[in-house]
Amino acid sequence: MSELKQHDVSLTVNGKAETISVAPRASLADALRDTLGLTGTHIGCEHGVCGACTVLLDGKPVRSCLLFAVQAEGAVITTIEGIGDAQSPHPLQRAFNECHGLHCGFCTPGMIVTLSAFLKEHPQPTSDDVREAISGNLCMCTGYQNIVRSALRAAELIEGAKS
Amino acid sequence: MSVKTTVSDTGPWVGQPLPRREDARLTAGAGTFTDDIRMPGMLHAAFLRSPHAHARIVRINADKARALKGVHAVITGEDVERLTKPISTIIPFKMFLPNYCLAVDKARYVGEPVAAIAAVDRATAEDAAELIEVEYEPLPAVVDPWEAIEQPPSFVFDEIKSNVIWHDTFSYGEVDDAFSRAAHVVSDRFSVQRYISTALETMGVIGKWDSSGLTLWSADQRPGFATHALTTALQIPHSQIRLVSPYIGGGFGNKRKATYMVIVALLAREADRPVKYLEDRQENLLGLVHASNQVMDLEMALDADGKILGLKLRDVVDEGSNVINPTLHSMLKFTNMLNNYTIPAVRFEGYAVLTNKCHSGANRGIGKPFMCFVIERAVEMAAKKVGIDSLELRRRNFIPASAMPYESPMGNVYDSGDFLATLDTALKTANYDDLLKQQEEARRAGRYFGIGIATAVEPNSLNLSAYTLMTGRTDTSGVGEGALVRMEGDGSVRVSLGNTASGQGYETVVAQIVADELGIHPHRVTVAPGFDSAVNPWLHCSGSFANKFSGTDVGAIIEAARTIRAKILRIAAHLTGRKAEELTIREAAIWVHGANEPLLPLAKVAMTAYRDLLRLPEGEMPGLEARHFYVDPQSNLPAMSKDDKRLRFQLTFSNSAHIAVTEVNPDTGAVKIHRYIIAHDCGREINPMLVEGMVHGATTHGIGGALYEDLIYDENGQMLAGSFMDYLKPTALDVPEFEVVALETPSPFTPLGAKGVGEGGSIPSLAAITNSVEDALKPLGVTLTELPLTPNKIWDAIQKARAEGKDT
Repeated sequence: MSELKQHDVSLTVNGKAETISVAPRASLADALRDTLGLTGTHIGCEHGVCGACTVLLDGKPVRSCLLFAVQAEGAVITTIEGIGDAQSPHPLQRAFNECHGLHCGFCTPGMIVTLSAFLKEHPQPTSDDVREAISGNLCMCTGYQNIVRSALRAAELIEGAKS
Repeated sequence: MSVKTTVSDTGPWVGQPLPRREDARLTAGAGTFTDDIRMPGMLHAAFLRSPHAHARIVRINADKARALKGVHAVITGEDVERLTKPISTIIPFKMFLPNYCLAVDKARYVGEPVAAIAAVDRATAEDAAELIEVEYEPLPAVVDPWEAIEQPPSFVFDEIKSNVIWHDTFSYGEVDDAFSRAAHVVSDRFSVQRYISTALETMGVIGKWDSSGLTLWSADQRPGFATHALTTALQIPHSQIRLVSPYIGGGFGNKRKATYMVIVALLAREADRPVKYLEDRQENLLGLVHASNQVMDLEMALDADGKILGLKLRDVVDEGSNVINPTLHSMLKFTNMLNNYTIPAVRFEGYAVLTNKCHSGANRGIGKPFMCFVIERAVEMAAKKVGIDSLELRRRNFIPASAMPYESPMGNVYDSGDFLATLDTALKTANYDDLLKQQEEARRAGRYFGIGIATAVEPNSLNLSAYTLMTGRTDTSGVGEGALVRMEGDGSVRVSLGNTASGQGYETVVAQIVADELGIHPHRVTVAPGFDSAVNPWLHCSGSFANKFSGTDVGAIIEAARTIRAKILRIAAHLTGRKAEELTIREAAIWVHGANEPLLPLAKVAMTAYRDLLRLPEGEMPGLEARHFYVDPQSNLPAMSKDDKRLRFQLTFSNSAHIAVTEVNPDTGAVKIHRYIIAHDCGREINPMLVEGMVHGATTHGIGGALYEDLIYDENGQMLAGSFMDYLKPTALDVPEFEVVALETPSPFTPLGAKGVGEGGSIPSLAAITNSVEDALKPLGVTLTELPLTPNKIWDAIQKARAEGKDT
């Protein structure tokens, strides 16, 4: 509410130090979208089930709809905008295009952010591993199969870039 | 599998698995969805929604909400009644229906908006909603659709004095004769629950008024339809309403909501500021739209050889509080009741019934998933009765490929398809004989292992003349779409459509189509990602519905492109002193047919059209822009005779065969899908990669409907599935790796031979899974007629069968 005291929160977002002023009840998702204008983080359910709002907090995937912005004090946040863009895409972004891993694209940022952390820990996953990894991210369009393919292809691309 | 995976560098582009143009921005989180739009001074709306299924609104006091700091506008039913007219309805009701954007006098379902607030931010608006005091006088809730007909505890709309909003009987062929000749009759009652696609982006609207009128940005997928509703409700001219669908995060039929638009328009006018409303997920589940729950009594007459002679059907559709477009499910179900069989006689008695639930509406396949469920379950039952294999029964009844085009008794013309080949392809892909052996072994080991097959047609496009037969409405007919193609002075092209994009990949497939027509690379074609009624060409039937893209929309795109092509050739002929017939366009240049060298660059012609105005052929208008409004030539008017109720309701027919291999855990009742095989035929595939993606997605929707999703109401009309914790969607762990094979029987009725594909997977999947689960439980003799197949339902059936000593 407008009378409530705003809080200053200092955090690093996509490599940039930011201090933002937020309402105590503002979610991290709302702060990223509304205060920082990072609208790539999508809000699909606001109760932590769909995974569309997934961002990395200190390298770990979290649901930004379930965190208050004030809880992110001092945190290092990576959103989809920090993963890559059209000019320098992350291998996952390339692979999602190559393997048709998206239709409407609303779940895609959350999927890619989730998988970016997963592939770091599991550079050579099986499709079952990938399914497990994205089991907390809902997609209503693709039936997941091409998302799994995309993740496997991204693992190949990352491996190929190393050699 | 059969999908082509390599892309060549030259055309033709149609048929190539071109990766999507839209992905670069969407994978980077740079897509512009409705909620991503921000405007200076924009306010945020919240709705107060009814906690009661049915209640009279005695009093509303919004004083405290209005006094809250940060609140700019509050509206209630009283304001709405004063400021607007009711939302227009498809059925031409003779009585006045108070179907407003907010509840007026009474609330008719849990979640119906009762008041709306615009405030500086959403949290403040929600605080204000909590401060509104509403005195309700609860009324008996109408929940069960049969009770709603036979012993209504109350009326949803008192004005109609009945909960039956539509009741009619349609009879085709000699039905009584068919049953009198029958050697076997199968009869049963089937039912399907309410479920919905739940696009991951919830529905949102932004409204803003200025001197030119009202602009609405929204995720609306039927803008043509919405504009009409808005002009009626707000009493402002069409020309003062501009509707923009920036880009939609999944539609599936659900995203059409004139009521939200009217509410937002009123708030924005009252506050004199732009206002944004976005549903939260609970509001989305409670109040956007539901696919109807439906109950059908079927009788199927067969001769001694298992040939289907006729159907008698009695069907009830629970429309909830839908008075805007009821009868959709009834119509799309019964007109396709043949599925892919030759059935000469069909009688369909249908009821559309009002209850105190969320209004029903369009959802992927509307009515046809249940059509297929009923017929494909009945086919299995019939095979048992006749004593032949159900595959053989299907084969004996399929409309043969040699009979195409085939006119059904209802008047639908099946354009193409080889249903036998589709089924055989699926069986071959599945290694069906091996599967049967696996099943034998599994059963010997005491496992409940099932193989379920369902075949289906997937009808495309929708002839809106159908409403004349259904409702008596006579001011709407046919179906069409608009497309605009503009070649710029450098030879690049922009295209916009009357249709809206919600994930279909139009920016890619439309570019492929236009590239072929204009002899350029698809990368030179930019397709507008969204819809803007002030810019895009559109008709009242414009938008995304009924699988109409591949035939109807493609017709508009191709006609517009061909108009440009002809003009380019006329100008080129004039510039070079040739005849237009001697020339062609390819690789962005003008060529004389058969020549080795191009005559001149396409850009030269294009530039001439825009700036060298005096060197154009005499009488030729400058510019290279064509706007085409296409009427699908398959759509027709009903016969003049009242007795003839035949019509080409839907216009072309894709088809598929699904095989689901499942296993039931007898201790929990849970179903595991081991394999899922799909053979499908949507004619010529414009982009095979996107086609297969659609097949996966649509089938997954059916898996959700078959096993998990249930928008369940209790006996008081309370909605029990208001979150994704209660309303379960299939996750990556629930969905199998689909094995998909495509057949391509081109349609003779569409410009490219393409047929629809977006709905297909959702149609046979309910039946394939249920047939499979029933087959898994064959040792227990369980019959499954009610969806969804939740673990508790399966577990109960197992316990019951065991108690009856059926386990073998």
